[in-house]
Amino acid sequence: MNRVARSDELHARVQRFATGGSADTFSGLAQEIAQFQREFSAGFARLWARSGGAEGAVELIPGVPCDAFRMTRVALHPESEDQARFATSGTTGSARGIHALRRLDTYRALALRFGRAALLGSSARRRVVALAPRLDEPASSSLGHMMALFMVDFEQAATTDVRAPERWLLDEQGVNLAGLERAAAGASEAGEALIVLATSFALVGLLDALEGRRILAPAETVVMQTGGFKGKSREVDGEVLRRDVARAFGISEPRVVSEYGMTELTSQLYEATLPGSALNAERPAPPGVYVEPPWLRVVPVDPISLEPVAPGEIGIARIIDLGNIDSAIAIQTQDRVQRTGAGITLLGRAPGAPPRGCSLAVEEFLRARGS
Amino acid sequence: MSKARPTVRRARLEPLLAAAGSLLDAESERGARARTRLVASTGLSPEGVDFALRRCLEANPSEAELLALLDATPEVPRANVLLSANVFVAAHRAIAIALAASESVFVRPSRREPALAELLWEAAPGSFQLRGELELEPGDHLWAYGSDQTLAEIARSTPPAVTLHAHGSGFGVAVLGSAELPSAELELSLLGLAEDIALFDQRGCLSPRVLLVAGDPGRALELARELAAVLEQLELRIPRGRLSPDEAAELTLYRDSANYAGELLNAGLGFVSVSPSEQVMLPPVGRNLHVLATENPLALVESLAPFVTSCAVEGDPALRAAIQHALPCARASRFGDMQRPPFDGPVDRRKWRSTRTP
Repeated sequence: MNRVARSDELHARVQRFATGGSADTFSGLAQEIAQFQREFSAGFARLWARSGGAEGAVELIPGVPCDAFRMTRVALHPESEDQARFATSGTTGSARGIHALRRLDTYRALALRFGRAALLGSSARRRVVALAPRLDEPASSSLGHMMALFMVDFEQAATTDVRAPERWLLDEQGVNLAGLERAAAGASEAGEALIVLATSFALVGLLDALEGRRILAPAETVVMQTGGFKGKSREVDGEVLRRDVARAFGISEPRVVSEYGMTELTSQLYEATLPGSALNAERPAPPGVYVEPPWLRVVPVDPISLEPVAPGEIGIARIIDLGNIDSAIAIQTQDRVQRTGAGITLLGRAPGAPPRGCSLAVEEFLRARGS
Repeated sequence: MSKARPTVRRARLEPLLAAAGSLLDAESERGARARTRLVASTGLSPEGVDFALRRCLEANPSEAELLALLDATPEVPRANVLLSANVFVAAHRAIAIALAASESVFVRPSRREPALAELLWEAAPGSFQLRGELELEPGDHLWAYGSDQTLAEIARSTPPAVTLHAHGSGFGVAVLGSAELPSAELELSLLGLAEDIALFDQRGCLSPRVLLVAGDPGRALELARELAAVLEQLELRIPRGRLSPDEAAELTLYRDSANYAGELLNAGLGFVSVSPSEQVMLPPVGRNLHVLATENPLALVESLAPFVTSCAVEGDPALRAAIQHALPCARASRFGDMQRPPFDGPVDRRKWRSTRTP
């Protein structure tokens, strides 16, 4: 089989695996995808060779560092086959990296399957808005693309205009508070649940704009919170933000659900706190614990040796994502994580070597080049 | 304040220069003690400390350099010096600048790396005063060295009546022009560059971390291979010291990123990476170099100007002149001389800003 045929076959098998109707195993699929990537990506073949190339243990598949996305194209296919190019947000500064996707249907299938499990707590009709900038065309933000998918899928309306300005409630001026209040009032009047998809810094902006006031939102409101602050707002402790957001919407704290994702991945992790959600019913976990979908595994590794750490120890996250068929099956992040019984606890980003003396720190260079 | 005669200012430097000279001899009691202390505090190998002392501690600057130093330094009532770590010989130049500025010099050594300042103080008692904390007074001048982040904090906490001379972080860039050098000359040039990299295990702002090669990627790869071999050989003579856990973790990520993106060559304990594009990657410290081919080295260097403290050019005199013109604040040199700029003032001549952007 040629590259395209093999890729298509793997896409089909991963999608089947995600539905649970497959004889494939996570490890088996991961190894097959790794083998596929070794054959068609010279970069991954080099990485594999340097890592010692141990076959068999999925935890030992070498991770492609996020930085590599900024330095080169991380894709097995040529640009002419790109269906989407998602740009990294600049968390690590410098030139923005690109995650090129050859097929969007797998992204869609995986994002929706786990998004529904984590964010839908009842069968009530829903209205979805985003505290995020308006979707560009073509979508360059994986988060924006995912939010648009959720708008269409969660509302299940005959027609959904995902580019309607009333859905995207963040711009250069900040949060569109009036727009959010209108959406909340409209949902209440229509007897719908409100789902608010938001970045953390947008939520901080919302709280600042509210100045202690509350939004009259339906009781079944769910807030999905994602991402860090990236210098775009004051930093707020995660627990405090959850409490204040819940208070602002007049909902219980478990209805504020955090998502963990990154442009370099196809799949996402969620907290399993939402009452009534499938994830909460099947794999309940306390706030702060992120649950992996069955097609993704987080391996905490030692930051120097990149060997998996002992169970329960802190390491940096290597993320094996079966959805990354045409890019990098394993992504090496600098996010510090710890495996708990139910999932993964995020402990912030490894800071990099702190600047000492007069040698320019790598982080400092990246930040300055990215600004 | 009344101006001191040049001879008086010049005389203030003498005990310091003599103190520096007393550290050069490894066989002397003071020289041996300096080496023991510096190995312990810097993490450099014993050979690395000895090499840095002999190569970079300016005990015998020329008269012209000293005159330039005096010319470039304002006379002030009280000179305060806040030292940083990593490049331990920098303490000597920093104290010399302060002595050129004032007869009242107060020095706060780096907490992590106080050894050289203390050794100089022992050998030149009375020339300057060591302080655990600086007590700044209105009218004082403060020479501060360190990362941009540290300097920003210092700038915030310095009283307005104190003049701050801030010298921040940067890195060195080496440029190889398009001319084909005779093999003997190329060999010497690459050895010089390797030594520039090895000094202080690359933790200084003059340390080269990027090599731009005029021409095509094939030429860059060929030179990278030669340089990697030279670095490996040099490491046998001057072993790399230890890295902090953070530095080691950065090295791991750099290794894998560079390995994925292009060629990665082993160079002893460090690496030489070769970029397939003109995307500049800054490798972490610890004897690592990023090499990239470019048809227009001048434009690429100019794009890095805010960060470049030193720039060495070989193989194209016209390009050297053009880069010097384009980056007047960067220390210009040949390969092998990047870590010993003239003793005529601070090594970093850029105007410090709290945020540098290209």
